[in-house]
Amino acid sequence: MRMVNPDIGRQAWHKQLARYAPYIMVGLLLSIVPGFMPAYLQSIMTKIIIYGILAMGLQLLWGYTGLFSIGHAAYFGAAAYTAAILTVNYGIESFWFAAVAGILVAGLIAAFFGVVALRASRVYFMLITLALGELLYSVALKWRTMTGGSDGLVGIPYPDLGLPWLTMNSGSLYYLVFVAFGIIAFLLYRLVNSPFGHILEGIRENEARMRALGYNTWMHKYIGFVVGGLIAGAGGVLLGYYSGIVVPSHVGIKTSVLAMLMVILGGERSFLGPLLGAVIIVLLEYFTSLYTPQRWPLVLGSVFVLSVMFLRGGITIYLSRLWKRMLLTWKL
Amino acid sequence: MQRILRGGGTGNPPAALGVIYAMETLPLNLLNGISFAMILFLMASGFTLIFGAMGILNMSHGAIYILGGYVGLTVVSHGGNFLLAVLVAAICAGFFGLILEKVFLSRLHGLLNEQVLLTLGIVYILENLFLWIWGPTAKIGTTPDIVSGSVNVGGFIFPMYRLVLIGIGAAVAIGLWWFYEKTRAGAIVRAGIDDKETTVALGINYPLVSTLVFSLGASLCGFAGFVGAPVIAIYYAKSFQVLLLAVIVVVVGGVGSMSGALLGAILIGLIDSLGRAYFPDFTYFIIYLAMIVTLLVKPAGLLGRER
Repeated sequence: MRMVNPDIGRQAWHKQLARYAPYIMVGLLLSIVPGFMPAYLQSIMTKIIIYGILAMGLQLLWGYTGLFSIGHAAYFGAAAYTAAILTVNYGIESFWFAAVAGILVAGLIAAFFGVVALRASRVYFMLITLALGELLYSVALKWRTMTGGSDGLVGIPYPDLGLPWLTMNSGSLYYLVFVAFGIIAFLLYRLVNSPFGHILEGIRENEARMRALGYNTWMHKYIGFVVGGLIAGAGGVLLGYYSGIVVPSHVGIKTSVLAMLMVILGGERSFLGPLLGAVIIVLLEYFTSLYTPQRWPLVLGSVFVLSVMFLRGGITIYLSRLWKRMLLTWKL
Repeated sequence: MQRILRGGGTGNPPAALGVIYAMETLPLNLLNGISFAMILFLMASGFTLIFGAMGILNMSHGAIYILGGYVGLTVVSHGGNFLLAVLVAAICAGFFGLILEKVFLSRLHGLLNEQVLLTLGIVYILENLFLWIWGPTAKIGTTPDIVSGSVNVGGFIFPMYRLVLIGIGAAVAIGLWWFYEKTRAGAIVRAGIDDKETTVALGINYPLVSTLVFSLGASLCGFAGFVGAPVIAIYYAKSFQVLLLAVIVVVVGGVGSMSGALLGAILIGLIDSLGRAYFPDFTYFIIYLAMIVTLLVKPAGLLGRER
C-alpha cells in the first residue's frame, strides 16, 4: 500500500470526513436546533425521531436483508404497551425498568413470529407478517383488562429517569429520545457495516448463492429479524412516554404502513433514509392536520402511490447524488 | 334451555348440558359457518386468482369488496332491484380493477414489493373516499323479499338468505372451475401461469389477458361485497379486515390455488362460526391460531405449491 501512494493516509482523512459529513451535519442539527424550539416543535421533532427509530428497524429487515415485513409495528406497539402497562397498571416508576421490559417483550415476540414467518417463501412471508401483526392488534383490542381495549392506555406520565436534578418536559424528553436514537443509530451503523451486515446484504441479493457459500442464511435472517424487532421495540417504549397514550392501532397495519412509507420515501438502501422519510411524513401529517385533517388518509395514500410510481430508491438517492457531485466540484 | 344452563340444581352434570346445547345449535352454526365460508370463498377467490395468474398481491382487495358493497347498496337505495345492484356492483368493481391494473400495476410489472406498496396506498385513498361519499355509518344490506325469512329444513329453522349464499357460492365455484378447465380462455390463463414466454410466443396478447383476469378478480370481489352485505356490514374502515380474512383463507388453503381458496374458506368459515358459538371469548384468535398451526405444519398452505 505504501508504495502506491505515500499520501494515501492524508487523502483518506479528507475523504472520510466527506463521507461522514452528512451524518455529522444531521447530528449537529438535531442536537442543537431543537434546544431553541418552542415546545410544540420539540414535540414534533420527538415524534419524528421515534418513528425514525421504528423505520430504521424496518429498514434493517427490508433494505438490508430483503425481508419485506408488512407487520413491523407489532413489535413497536407491543413494547409501547408493555412499558405503558407497567407504568400505568402496575405503578412501576422507573423508566429504565419499563424500557428494558418493553424492548425484551418486543424481542421475544419477534423471536416467536420470526420462527413462524421465516419458514415461508417471499410471498407467504409478507402475508404472514401482515396477519401476525393483525393478530397482535386484535389481542390489544380484546384484552380490555390489560390494554384498555379500543380506548387504549392513557395517562402515561413523563419518564422517570431516577435523576433528581432533571425535570422532564418536552425539551428533555426530546433529548432523551435523541440520545436513544444516537445510540441505536451508532449500533446499527456498526452492525450493517460489519461482516454480519454484509452477509445480510448478500442474502438480499442472492440467498441461494450465500447458502452455496456455506452461510446459514436462515440464522442470519432470523437474527436480523429479531434485531429489527428490538429496534422497533426501543422506539415503541419511547412512544408511550411521548404521546401519553397507547392505542391498538400502534400495533396494527396503520402504523406498519407509516413505517413502510418512511422507508420508501427516504430510500431503502440509505442509512439515514428512514429518518428523512420520518421527517417528511410527520411534517406532512402536521400540516395536513392544520388544513384538512379529514383528508389525511387521502394525502397519505397519494404520497404512497406517487412515491412508488416515481420515487423508486427514495429521496436520499437524489440527495446523495447531489452531494457526490458537490464533492467532485470541490475536488475532495 | 337457557334456564337450565344458567340455573343450577337440576342434578344434570354441566358437561352433558354443554353437549346437548351444542347438538341443538350445531346445524344452525354449521349453516352459518358454510354460508360465511361462501362469502370468504368469493372474497378469496378473486385474490388468489389475481395472484395465481399474475403474481400480484392485491392489498386493495378488501377495499374493492367494500366498494362493491357500497355501490350495490346505493343502487338498491335508489330503487334498483337486487339483481341490478349485483350487476352494477360487479361491473364497477371490475372497472376499478381495470383502471388500477392498466394505469398503475402494469408499470410495476414483476416488482412484487412495489405492487404491494402501491395497492396499500390505494386502500388509504379508497377508504377516505368511501368516508367522503358514503359517510361514517355502517350499512347492512337488506335481502330481497323472495329470499328473506326462514325456511324449515328437517325440523331446524334456517334463515333463507344463508342458504341462498351457499347456493351462490357453489354456483360461482362451479362457474370458475368450468371457466378455468373447460374454456379456451381458461386454458390461456393456465398456459400463462405455467409458461408465459411460450404463451406469448403463440401469439396470445398476454397484457390483455392480464388486465382481463385482474378485472375479473376485482369484479368477483365487488360481487362478494354486495352479496355478502346482509351478513357483513359495509363500513369504510373495514377494508383491512376483509383483506386480512382473504389473506388468512388463502394462507391456510394455499396461495394461487382455487381449490385451496375453497378449502381454506370452508375451514376458516367453520372454525370462525363454531368458535363464535362455543368459545366466544376466543373468536378473534381462533382463526389466527388456525393459520399459525397450518403454517407450522405446511408452510405453503394445505393445497398450495411453492411458486
